[in-house]
Amino acid sequence: MTFDEAKLHILNRAQTRGIGAEVVGQRQRELTARAHTGRLEQLTQAVQGGVGVRVVVGGRVGYAYSEELSPAALDWMLDEAIENASLQREATGFLPAGSSLGRQDLVGDAFAAPLEAKVQAALGFEGTLREDARVKQVMLAAYSERVWDVSVASTEGADGSYRRGIAGMGGSIVMQEGTSLKQGWDRRWVTDLGMLDPGRTALEFTERTGRLLGARPLATGRYPAYFEPRAFAHLLFAFWSMWSGKAVMEGKSRLAGRLGERVAAPIVTLIDDPTISGGLGTRPFDAEGVATRPQTLVEDGVLRGFLTNSETARALDLENTGHASRNYRGTLSVAPSNLYVRAGTGFKPKRGVIITEVTGVHAGASAITGQFSLQALGLWVEGGEVAYPVENFAVAGDFLTLLQNISGLGDALEWELVWGGVACGAPLVGVAELSFAGA
Amino acid sequence: MLSDTLVADILSRGRAAGADLAELYVERWKRRNLRVLNGEAKEATSGLEYGAGLRLFYGTEIAYGYTNDLTAEGLRELAATLTARRGQTGRVDAKGRGGLDFRRSTAQGLHDPEVPFETHPKRYRLERLLEAESAARVAPEITQVESHLAEWEQETLVCNSEGAWVEDRRVRTRLNVNAIAQDGPQMQTGVAVRGLSVGLELLDRFPPAALGRQAGEQAIRNLRARPAPAGTMPVVLGNGFGGVIFHEAVGHLLETTSVAKKASVLSDMLGEEVASPVVTYIDDGTTPHGWGSSEFDDEGARTERTVLIENGVLRSYMVDRWGALLTGYRPTGSGRRQDYTFAPTSRMRNTFITPGTVSVERLFDGIEFGLYAKEFRGGQVKPGSGEYNFGVQEAYVIRNGRVEEAVRGAMLVGKGPETLKRVVAVASDLETAPGMCGSLSGSLPVEVGQPHVLVSEIVVGGEI
Repeated sequence: MTFDEAKLHILNRAQTRGIGAEVVGQRQRELTARAHTGRLEQLTQAVQGGVGVRVVVGGRVGYAYSEELSPAALDWMLDEAIENASLQREATGFLPAGSSLGRQDLVGDAFAAPLEAKVQAALGFEGTLREDARVKQVMLAAYSERVWDVSVASTEGADGSYRRGIAGMGGSIVMQEGTSLKQGWDRRWVTDLGMLDPGRTALEFTERTGRLLGARPLATGRYPAYFEPRAFAHLLFAFWSMWSGKAVMEGKSRLAGRLGERVAAPIVTLIDDPTISGGLGTRPFDAEGVATRPQTLVEDGVLRGFLTNSETARALDLENTGHASRNYRGTLSVAPSNLYVRAGTGFKPKRGVIITEVTGVHAGASAITGQFSLQALGLWVEGGEVAYPVENFAVAGDFLTLLQNISGLGDALEWELVWGGVACGAPLVGVAELSFAGA
Repeated sequence: MLSDTLVADILSRGRAAGADLAELYVERWKRRNLRVLNGEAKEATSGLEYGAGLRLFYGTEIAYGYTNDLTAEGLRELAATLTARRGQTGRVDAKGRGGLDFRRSTAQGLHDPEVPFETHPKRYRLERLLEAESAARVAPEITQVESHLAEWEQETLVCNSEGAWVEDRRVRTRLNVNAIAQDGPQMQTGVAVRGLSVGLELLDRFPPAALGRQAGEQAIRNLRARPAPAGTMPVVLGNGFGGVIFHEAVGHLLETTSVAKKASVLSDMLGEEVASPVVTYIDDGTTPHGWGSSEFDDEGARTERTVLIENGVLRSYMVDRWGALLTGYRPTGSGRRQDYTFAPTSRMRNTFITPGTVSVERLFDGIEFGLYAKEFRGGQVKPGSGEYNFGVQEAYVIRNGRVEEAVRGAMLVGKGPETLKRVVAVASDLETAPGMCGSLSGSLPVEVGQPHVLVSEIVVGGEI
């Protein structure tokens, strides 16, 4: 069965049984070419996908999904979803009224190039990485592209699909100078092949990792901190759910009930904009078929909004911002798209630590408590100049306190694809003082 | 799941295109998840995942593709895509012409569940999760309790052009309980997790109420705790999930994924002393009902018990098929993948530090000031530099050999090879705990384990 046939099959069965149903379908195409020592090492080509259903039976909600699109599998899926719904006691669930959304193609011929050209991109990228004498090993060097066909349809009239995609160069290198070893993991994603420059990206990678060679221990202390844009993007993603309507609804956000209050320094404005042309997280409508639009979360330091879907908007008495997320295997949630801290007027670090990278974010940061303690790498700055790289330390603090203490914002925004369909952007972010644990 | 004729046909297409080895991996998952929040079933979901991955070896070059169209046409199209770049250059020997004589190996049921999922209705699960809920509410400050039950049933088939036909079945159950304690603007969390290769007997072996209480009490302790101290100090690591330190600091450094490319600081060191002599480190894919156990790996090789480090000396790496091809090391049944959308790589299974002889109490003797890290979150490592980190969820200050006030968790950071040499003593109370590990071949169930362990110095990422 094709996705369209599967969708009709499910919606027809649901209508016959008198229940509400919403189907999301996803079909993903992957191409990855990995190069090693001047040769193609691994080529992955694939198509994969499935359908997921959310049913509402007398106000009770259940979910199920299937990657097998046979009538038997789809009927199993619907039966399971209905049984799952019967576990709910509360009967307040609903599907939003939908509309016809048509078919939108955000990809076009953005990735139209022969396979051989893409393999050459991987080989060129890997070759340039190896040109730097300090590169001891290239552990991974790849060209990768992914294109998703996403569809939503419901018994409430939602019906639409879109196609989005990304391509990028990425990998990992081990660099050595004397006894000092550093491993860099890096990637650059774009929405159009024309924006890729394998050679230049490779030089950026070796520059970013190479500058950390010869790092010295950092003495434990409190210092001014300057997060490079991509490091701050990862930190922002660790804490974005403080602005999730779902987290607010479930008592997991310290920002709950604080709309209109000052939660950050006055220079801070935080926006999620799913409509940015060419954005890595751009999408025309959300997982419930609600058209997307930009949403300001913090404006000049003041809390202005949360990201919502139909369920959280109703529960919190807020507008639905069109941030529903659900892939076919998942359940209804809320997610950002292109989430960014607006660039400022620029500043120059004087003394303290430039944090070039934070790692272990999944284990060392909690959006519920707001606290973080993260392994980091960086550069010590003295008298406005980078003095030497520093290592083997952790930086700790409270994210809401950090927001209040932001002392400067750089004038250039950089983006990082942090997870699935979410991109986070930030300029250089200066923080008055943070706690550093080291030697 | 597929007929021999179709499998043989697909494999022979790979061989005809010049591949030295063609491997087809087919799997079907049935998964169920239930999340209960504050007494209400928030989301219940069920799923079928079904797909195949075809891998062709041309020397050490790999072509990999996957699909969930498992019809003859779908699989032939996959084979055609993968071989297109090569053309039909290979010679097909008699074995590869479609008449493959498969040697069948099927699972013996070593990790089969005692209480299969169909034994109990869904409402039974809800009722058991509600036990966690009420037990977690140990104090009025507990504002939110969330419990989550995951049930996985996975059937796998691995066939290759050498004639292997291997069927395995893996059943896993995992229960998480999370509690949030709140006092004004302050919020803290408590967590308890158990998971094994079992069915619903998990809920009898680890009663949800006990996990609930553990999560609730931990959240309250964290609410009243001060931030952890900052700096370099001696650390006593708790047993069970404390083993995450070795998973990060050494485990990943011993996978051929990094070792084969000499992108691990522990490459080319077999027979050398890489750790303190009190450290013996084992990766065992055969532990009965272990969270990371299976009878076969995802390349069709039997799993085994691999001694990685014995009394401080490096004895073996974790080796998958491709890793063996690149390094010449003996394969260890360590080829694993999240699902058919990933080509396998070498990965950990159930990895633990063997018990020592010291009593737990003795570990604290003589520590003037240090940290007792009792419960943990996950971590991360860069094998090429050995720089690792892992998060602590529950901790206490050690003063003059005594465990004193609770402090909030912090990240511990270090360099793997240095930390391995700084292991001073290993106690005798080995325990294991389930985790999810992310790497090149996706996110996988792995067990970590250790007795209480004393490390002479680690950077504790607290606050000053």
